[in-house]
Amino acid sequence: MEHNDHHMEHTEAPKDMKSKIWRTFWILTALTVVDIALYFMLLENHSMLKNVLFIALGVIKAYYIIGIFMHMKFEQKWLGNLIIYPMIFVVFLVALMIIESNYTALIR
Amino acid sequence: MSHTTALTTEKKSIWGGGRSPFGIDYGKLMMWIFLLSDAFTFSSLLVSYGFVRHTYPSPAPNEIIKPMQHLEEGFVEQMQHVGYFTTEKWPLPELVFNHFPFIHGMHLPLFFVSLMTFVLIFSSVTMVLAVEAGHRMAKKEVANYMFLTILGGLAFLGCQAWEWTQFITEGATLSHNPFGPMAFAALFFIVTGFHGFHVFSGVVINVVIFFNVLNGTYEKRGHYEMVEKVGLYWHFVDLVWVFVFTFFYLI
Repeated sequence: MEHNDHHMEHTEAPKDMKSKIWRTFWILTALTVVDIALYFMLLENHSMLKNVLFIALGVIKAYYIIGIFMHMKFEQKWLGNLIIYPMIFVVFLVALMIIESNYTALIR
Repeated sequence: MSHTTALTTEKKSIWGGGRSPFGIDYGKLMMWIFLLSDAFTFSSLLVSYGFVRHTYPSPAPNEIIKPMQHLEEGFVEQMQHVGYFTTEKWPLPELVFNHFPFIHGMHLPLFFVSLMTFVLIFSSVTMVLAVEAGHRMAKKEVANYMFLTILGGLAFLGCQAWEWTQFITEGATLSHNPFGPMAFAALFFIVTGFHGFHVFSGVVINVVIFFNVLNGTYEKRGHYEMVEKVGLYWHFVDLVWVFVFTFFYLI
């Protein structure tokens, strides 16, 4: 047995990492500005669709933060699966609590 | 040498042993697992906010004050009087979070929290630049970027302290809320407090790593993986703020 796997086992970051970082920064800034603009444009709207829109924008931002800033895009596929799949439980909890809060609203 | 070639050409399953299926060091893997559990904690806090928010009727659209307009002294009492702030309805975030440091008597809705968001995003950028410099073993650059990250974290904490002070001065506590339902202020303090505590511990860890970098600990070790680990934590704090911002100020 050769002990040749003692070196650091991490996936190399791409060569143009710096430009990727700054690109991500501008995307995140732009998305935040869009968030605030939409907030003032949709002040009179209280539909569930508006909430879904803001949460979707949050998820896009999360994709860039996890993918580029946290290097997830450049790691092995299994690491991504390990982190993303358990989040299904959160989606499940959200779905349950939306149903449940409708009943709580009725007795309020 | 032929022995090695035979081993590498052999078709091996990724789970066949002998190497990590995740392709990273155990320390980083454990940091990811910790962040996953922390994500569950924050999810349950934010879901409970969404739950309570959903059980209250939505507020009427604001027709009283426009951005940049003059903000009177007894604004909260005035809002209570005209029925915008009642315990029956959830308050409009733009009428609650409308102050800015050093600018008095002006309605500046969400300006300050937007600034806080940009501060945190920017400190995330300097952190990832420190990690990038660590890959190149550029000790001085790592130290500089770590320093900027610490400054960003402290700036964010300062902003949050100011916002809490403003909120408490207007009469909000864990058990009392002049803006509307009691749960609004209680959830605000608990969730932003829990996030702020994460930022605080992140700053403390960043300071420790910063001094280790200056002492050359990681240069002697041959790699800057510790900076990557603390970087993962720091980006997670930024990630959580994205959702705290969405839930508390936009929805």
